Amino acid sequence: MKSHFLFPYWCRYLGWGLVIAHVPLSMIGRMNGMVNPLDSAPGNTSLFTGEHLFFISTTLLMALGLFLVAFASEKIEDEQIWQIRLDSLRWAIYVNYLILIISLVFINDTAHILELNLWVPLLFFIIRFRWVIFRLNRSLSKEG
Amino acid sequence: MKNNIRVERAIKNITQAELAELVAVSRQTINTIESNKYVPSTVLALKIARVFSKPLEEIFMLEDGD
Repeated sequence: MKSHFLFPYWCRYLGWGLVIAHVPLSMIGRMNGMVNPLDSAPGNTSLFTGEHLFFISTTLLMALGLFLVAFASEKIEDEQIWQIRLDSLRWAIYVNYLILIISLVFINDTAHILELNLWVPLLFFIIRFRWVIFRLNRSLSKEG
Repeated sequence: MKNNIRVERAIKNITQAELAELVAVSRQTINTIESNKYVPSTVLALKIARVFSKPLEEIFMLEDGD
């Protein structure tokens, strides 16, 4: 099969590590009284302050982690896996745009919509992709 | 599209895992092809036919409605 660019298999574990690491990091930030620029009052939009940099880096850590998990190759990356990948991406785009359109119409808060848009497609893709592979493996072990 | 990979495997006496290794795919893929859940690409179908040393049409057949 023609090879497509994907990250190596081990990047999946690195990705989960980054996603997990961002949770305590952002909690420590919040406990130290930092306020996420997205949650602060409008008008307080100065860029590259300590708080801004801190939250940008933790958010990037999470997004990068999800990205690595989503696009790390499987142990055996064959054409069926590739088809499941594309199909899951299609569903992720559907769900993302559904949520995006609903929130644009009903929620007057574009900053949080951006944040949502950052992780919904990746997270949905990962869940759907892993679920289909899990089902494949389960049907395989049933047949023995 | 249906296929008789299962029969051909029995004749040749190889397992799904062995066939998967010969055509460089996962065992899940062979399993889903055998149970008609997944239609392989032309390249993969030709590789499978080559393993059994038979023409493609003897292993994969069109069904009514295809």
